[in-house]
Amino acid sequence: MPGAFADTLTRRVLPRLVVALSQVGWPARAGARARRALGRRGRVELFFAFDDPCSAIAVIELAARVGRRRGVRLVLRPVVARGIDGDPALEQKRRYAIVDARRLARRSGLALRRGEPLAAEEAAFLAEWVAAAGAPAAAQGPALTSFCVAAMRRLWLETDGRVRRADYAGLWRERFGGEPPGVAPDAGAGAAAVRRNERLMRRRRPYDTPAACVHGRWFFAHDRLVQIGERLDELGWAESQS
Amino acid sequence: VTPARIDFFFSFRSPYSYLAAPRAFALPERFDVDVAFRGVIPMAMRGQSVPREKGLHTLRDAKREAVRLGMPFGRIHDPIGDGAIRCLLVAEHAVDVGRERDFVLEASRGIWGEAADVARDAGLRPLCERAGLSWSDCAAALEDRSLRARVDADTAALADLGHWGVPVLVFDGELFWGQDRIEDLEVALVDAGLERALGGAGGG
Repeated sequence: MPGAFADTLTRRVLPRLVVALSQVGWPARAGARARRALGRRGRVELFFAFDDPCSAIAVIELAARVGRRRGVRLVLRPVVARGIDGDPALEQKRRYAIVDARRLARRSGLALRRGEPLAAEEAAFLAEWVAAAGAPAAAQGPALTSFCVAAMRRLWLETDGRVRRADYAGLWRERFGGEPPGVAPDAGAGAAAVRRNERLMRRRRPYDTPAACVHGRWFFAHDRLVQIGERLDELGWAESQS
Repeated sequence: VTPARIDFFFSFRSPYSYLAAPRAFALPERFDVDVAFRGVIPMAMRGQSVPREKGLHTLRDAKREAVRLGMPFGRIHDPIGDGAIRCLLVAEHAVDVGRERDFVLEASRGIWGEAADVARDAGLRPLCERAGLSWSDCAAALEDRSLRARVDADTAALADLGHWGVPVLVFDGELFWGQDRIEDLEVALVDAGLERALGGAGGG
């Protein structure tokens, strides 16, 4: 009875296998030990979107939380295109994300000011700046993280209405001492870097933002801040005592 | 005074609904609220696509959350199709006899933690009986078209609220989506002055 066999396979065997394999932790722990032995740092790779209020919570919170862990770095990967292809609930999700982010912000002692969804294209220039400056990942440092935190705060906690590029260029200059990337002759470099991040996100498996990849496991970062910390603990990158 | 009402939109095919259920049904123990069970037809049976990667991530994430919550998870039998509908019909019957909490908790644990095949009587019956329901009444519920109409109405009600997934809890017109948003609902209930006073000073 091939039908019954297929039914058992899809309903019972495969789900059980997926769950069981997700609990296997030794390869990641061994990999983390090897990284430390080689003097390499752990990584939390965050795929996020500037037009996503839940990404704002994730960027602000993870920058602080990962910053308290010696030997771990936050790699920031801004994207613009994400989500489920042809999702009929896309607009509802964008609206609900504001409600949800407002509650999450409250948990962190923050208040969301923006009350309406932001069009992806309005904030795309920020993704292009950060993607261009942050590729390769080794080029990322505290200034880029600080810019992303400040930009997210400006976008979602401090302002409403239209996004003024000049405000953000000012935040950039304060941290980098120069103009943001993406001016001629490299005008297309930022957009290309964003597309690379989007392809990388698909390869890493997350289908929406904000998604944090932590050595073979990914989490919706705004939902699972505590669990991301526990993952780092499990891999041996505990919070620094200071 | 009539307690405030919380609508609990739930799917037997949703592992996050399973994880939410014990805490959702426990809300009246701490707050002056009634929880109204609203069973809905699974998203994948409503013509909404669930990408493979989303399905895989949900299983992995739900397992981690189940471990945190101390709930069994992993011996699964996916109830999509007849199994999900049969559970919804029995749940409506359970509402009528005041045992929806017992049935929803037993059935969802059976599906997600014990690999119960609820599409078959041999899988569903023990769960009904563990919930204190008569199997003959449950078998009759499976043929009751009025119960199916209630399930369809609750499914439509979720869509009318402008929402797509479960679990969703609705309090005073405000939606809380996700098993991990119950804590935000609790904050809203505290803000609304619905937290019960702690009883009996010096009561051991």
